[in-house]
Amino acid sequence: MMCRTDQVPEPGEGQDVDATDAVFTSLLEDSAEELYEEAPCGYVSTLMDGTIAKINATLLAWLGLERSEVVGRKRFADLLTVGGRLYHETHFAPMLQMQGAVSGIAMDIKTAAGRMPVLVTSKVKTTEEGEPLLIRTTVFDARDRRAYESELLRRRTVAEEARRQAEADRARLQEALAVLQQNLLPAELPTIPGLEAGSYYHTASPDLLGGDFYDLFPLETGRWAFFLGDVCGKGPQAAAVTSLTRYTLRAAALHNPDPVTVLTTLNTVLHERYTSGDPRYCTAIYGVLDLTGEHVGVHLASGGHPPALIQRTDGSADYLPTPGGMLIGVLPQAHFSATRTDLLPGETLLLYTDGLTEARTGPQRERYGDDALREFTAARPGHGPQALIAALTGLLASFGTGLDDDTALLALGVPAPLPTTVSES
Amino acid sequence: MSPLTITTRDAAPGPVLEITGDLDYMTAPELRTAVAGLSLTAGHLLVLDLAALEFCDSSGISALLAARNVVMEHDCGLALAAVPANTARILSIVGLDQVFTLHADVSAATARTSARH
Repeated sequence: MMCRTDQVPEPGEGQDVDATDAVFTSLLEDSAEELYEEAPCGYVSTLMDGTIAKINATLLAWLGLERSEVVGRKRFADLLTVGGRLYHETHFAPMLQMQGAVSGIAMDIKTAAGRMPVLVTSKVKTTEEGEPLLIRTTVFDARDRRAYESELLRRRTVAEEARRQAEADRARLQEALAVLQQNLLPAELPTIPGLEAGSYYHTASPDLLGGDFYDLFPLETGRWAFFLGDVCGKGPQAAAVTSLTRYTLRAAALHNPDPVTVLTTLNTVLHERYTSGDPRYCTAIYGVLDLTGEHVGVHLASGGHPPALIQRTDGSADYLPTPGGMLIGVLPQAHFSATRTDLLPGETLLLYTDGLTEARTGPQRERYGDDALREFTAARPGHGPQALIAALTGLLASFGTGLDDDTALLALGVPAPLPTTVSES
Repeated sequence: MSPLTITTRDAAPGPVLEITGDLDYMTAPELRTAVAGLSLTAGHLLVLDLAALEFCDSSGISALLAARNVVMEHDCGLALAAVPANTARILSIVGLDQVFTLHADVSAATARTSARH
């Protein structure tokens, strides 16, 4: 059609247009009345008090009523459900009075088949002087729209229910993992006369069971066994090895508490259990505390574990080397070396896993390291195991995201004697 | 933290894997995959060139041990070449310096005529 402007009109074109108009005219004959009655929406006109003065066939069909039952006999509000009537009275009518028009309000009308959701728009017709004459209202069928909204709502409910279920499942899993994790560690350290003990466990991830473990438990009178170690890897497989390791160590210690013998037993058990496929092994320090003598005797052995550290009373700290102690569970025959030392009053023996020394620190993200740990420990006053654990807990917290592995700490020490002289005050 | 890259080349006694970057919990499976993908015949010597290894944690050690298991199953040998000081220290702490054969560099490792461990 756009390019026609430049063309010479063809003969007879005007006649074609006239013919089309004639067809439209015949189609739209008695258009106003027809359109009003059979419109795709309901029309209703009421007096200012709501009395229905005129209503179209579409709306009457929806209502299932005869014109004679409605016109002059019912008010618009009578067409609504109870809820709709209430809303009409409290909101719709006042708004209409104030604003002269209300648009697109969702309500339900009463029909022969029950209720039918509709959207109602009303406008007040006024005289030229502005006096209200009557209210014209259109009523749109909102059944499909309401069904669509219900479907949306239903889907949202389903999605929310699924999310709630997923969260509940996750919470239950975390609870189970926490219980398993607790099973790998003593609930609390035993109280031992003449000895102070402290421990700390940092979990890198609540979802991944850690592989670090420690324990402290009694042997015969005056002798206690302790161990701390690290199973390679994370997750359920590591936790299974940790569990096996912990109970093997406890059982072996009761049979024969000698440190090398206990670690050798553990080595045999782990090596046999995990001999094929993925190697599963651990590092551990196991030892015995002898509280029967003048000093607390320490006899310990290490299997591939970072050396224990002793905080002295003179402001120094020394590693307790156990050279050549091998990873536990790798070889059928493994070598472990034992060492002995005495803990004097005020001295603390610290066992740790490499989460501490391998943590990344500083702007260069360097490993914290053995030397830093020794210096840190030496610089703390010898206030006993629990004070040292508290200081190290603070140190671990200061690493922030640099601490990316599980870390276990176990400190054992002899309380310093009470001062014999009262300090000046 | 550096990503791990593993390049393979062949030397006279057997394959040489050059391991660059961090060998840790995240990357250790890559070494296992690389070793599993080697075609080893009895008597070969697998050399792991660690000159550019920046970090090795317990998972890395585990992968080295897994590599050792694989080569032993094939009746082959394993040698570690140019082990960085910090990793050598860890191997010594865990007693594995007695288990692995260590060499100063790859040429020293491949110069060995007997591949048997």
